[in-house]
Amino acid sequence: MANILVVDDEVDVGEAVRRVLERAGYAVTVVSNAAAGLDAVARQPPDVVITDIIMPKVHGVELIKILRERHPRIRVIAISGGGSFGPLGYKPEAISTHAYLAAARQAGADEILTKPFDLTDLIAAVRRLLPN
Amino acid sequence: MERLVNSLRVRLIGVVLVILAALVPLLYLGVSAIVREGYAERFVNSLRAYSRLVADELEALDEPDFDRHAVALLDSVVLSGQVVFAEIRDRSRTLHSSIATLPVNAPPRDDFHFGDQHDQVYFITHTVNRGDHSVALRLGFDELPTLEQIAAAERRVLIAMAVFVAASIAVAVWLSWVIARPMVRLQAAAQRVASGDTHAQLDVGSSIREVQELNYHLEHMRRELVGANEHLSHEIAEREVSEQKRLDLERRLLHRERIATIGTLAGGVAHEFNNIMTPILLYSQLGLDEVPADDPLADYLRRVIAAAHRARSLVMRILTFSREIDSQQPAVFPLRGPVEEALALLREIVPTNIEIVLTAPDEALPVLGDASLVHQVVINLCTNAYEAMRRSGGRLSVTLGAIENPPDSQVRPGCYHVLEVSDTGHGMDPRVLAHIFEPFFTTREVGEGTGLGLSVVHGIISSMGGVITVRSTVGSGTTFRVYLPAAKAQAPATAASAPA
Repeated sequence: MANILVVDDEVDVGEAVRRVLERAGYAVTVVSNAAAGLDAVARQPPDVVITDIIMPKVHGVELIKILRERHPRIRVIAISGGGSFGPLGYKPEAISTHAYLAAARQAGADEILTKPFDLTDLIAAVRRLLPN
Repeated sequence: MERLVNSLRVRLIGVVLVILAALVPLLYLGVSAIVREGYAERFVNSLRAYSRLVADELEALDEPDFDRHAVALLDSVVLSGQVVFAEIRDRSRTLHSSIATLPVNAPPRDDFHFGDQHDQVYFITHTVNRGDHSVALRLGFDELPTLEQIAAAERRVLIAMAVFVAASIAVAVWLSWVIARPMVRLQAAAQRVASGDTHAQLDVGSSIREVQELNYHLEHMRRELVGANEHLSHEIAEREVSEQKRLDLERRLLHRERIATIGTLAGGVAHEFNNIMTPILLYSQLGLDEVPADDPLADYLRRVIAAAHRARSLVMRILTFSREIDSQQPAVFPLRGPVEEALALLREIVPTNIEIVLTAPDEALPVLGDASLVHQVVINLCTNAYEAMRRSGGRLSVTLGAIENPPDSQVRPGCYHVLEVSDTGHGMDPRVLAHIFEPFFTTREVGEGTGLGLSVVHGIISSMGGVITVRSTVGSGTTFRVYLPAAKAQAPATAASAPA
């Protein structure tokens, strides 16, 4: 049974993704920040990491870069809501989600999903990465 | 009265009159004194000579019959006409002319000056030696003819004076007119200049040098004034224009800033909203998988999912407005492509009472951006046009074209490809027009529209470096005009692969 690690600071999102993937037959672990995600990967490397991009402290792009360096075999799905992150956002340098998503792809993300995504899109993305 | 006294002409004449009043009496007194002296001297000299002659004759008389001869001499003297009184006094007796006109007791003393004693008779006494004794010859000459001559001469002097005074006054009047007339003309001309006719040239045409100089300087001043005036009005006009430009720019900046602020806000909200929508969508879809297809719950969940999808597309549009949805890589594409696609789609849904007309030149009209966003722009603009004509029907015209340096103040000079969407619907009043590009502004009933359509259009066009303008007349329709910067023609390879 494939292992999937979900990293998202939004607990509701992480929980919903966990339920969907468990029902599809995957073993799922959910953590709420990049540091906890790296810990979980160190304990037991998953087959797929699904990570949010916009997160406090270490954001998703950094996480993907580290994963690509240390665990090139782990597949990565980047997910993010849209929006700008200037006055209301997390990062003062305020760059667009698309820039983040592009950066995530450049950093080595295999799939990109924008929130809110459909259940079928999520499962399809995972299946593309885990053909078995 | 003061005005009259201060008048140049009155002053000039007044000065002449004062001079005359002081001069003429003095002159008259002087002249008449000389005249009087002259006549008197001549009179006195002649009578002295005459009386000397008589005295000599008396001295030569013979002693015998002296008295008779003496009286005869006196009579002849009186008869000569000038003498009115003649007597001879001896120690003991007095001889009188027998025809003398004056009384015998004549005034006792002689006249020393002509006109003394007001008796109109000039008395003179000569002492004549008669051997052992002397006698006194005393004659009285009539002054009246000489007095009359003097009076006549004085009258002539008076007449001459009067003529002189009259001539002086006439000269003064003429002179004052000659001096004052150009002044009055200059004043009138200056008044015209003051009352706004600054182009009235000052030319009084006087022969007086000072007036000519005054005229020259005033004219010079007027020219300076006209120059300064023109300069000033030019400057004021320029300032008004630049002030208008500044206000215009300020208004546009404010508008842009407001839209940008709302966009940023919308972007932030969109991010949170997308996070919240994710579990709603996923749990609904999970739930749908758990219940049989004919269960009422399945229907409910399908409705929740459909609503969530609508919400998702709404957020996508908000993000378009806040320029978050930038296409992967902007590409050059012919403007006509997405426009024709959008119109084909619209023809399917627009009722037949609305005619859709596309006018486009043969050129490709290439622009840089994302064709699907232009597609969305056309759909949005045409949907608004269609809404405006839904009840009445009408014509929806879409026109494409190219323009260089459009005459619209909102558009920077340059080459543009233009998309114009025009309807014959109900139009909008200026109050509505001012807000149509703001997010969430709508005139439709609640539930009929989000009010995002035109703000999305605005966002897309801004992101492509373009400008959208609108003109509308209540009752006759609205025209949206989109200026997109003209892109260089595509490379042939790309053009070949581009959809026709």
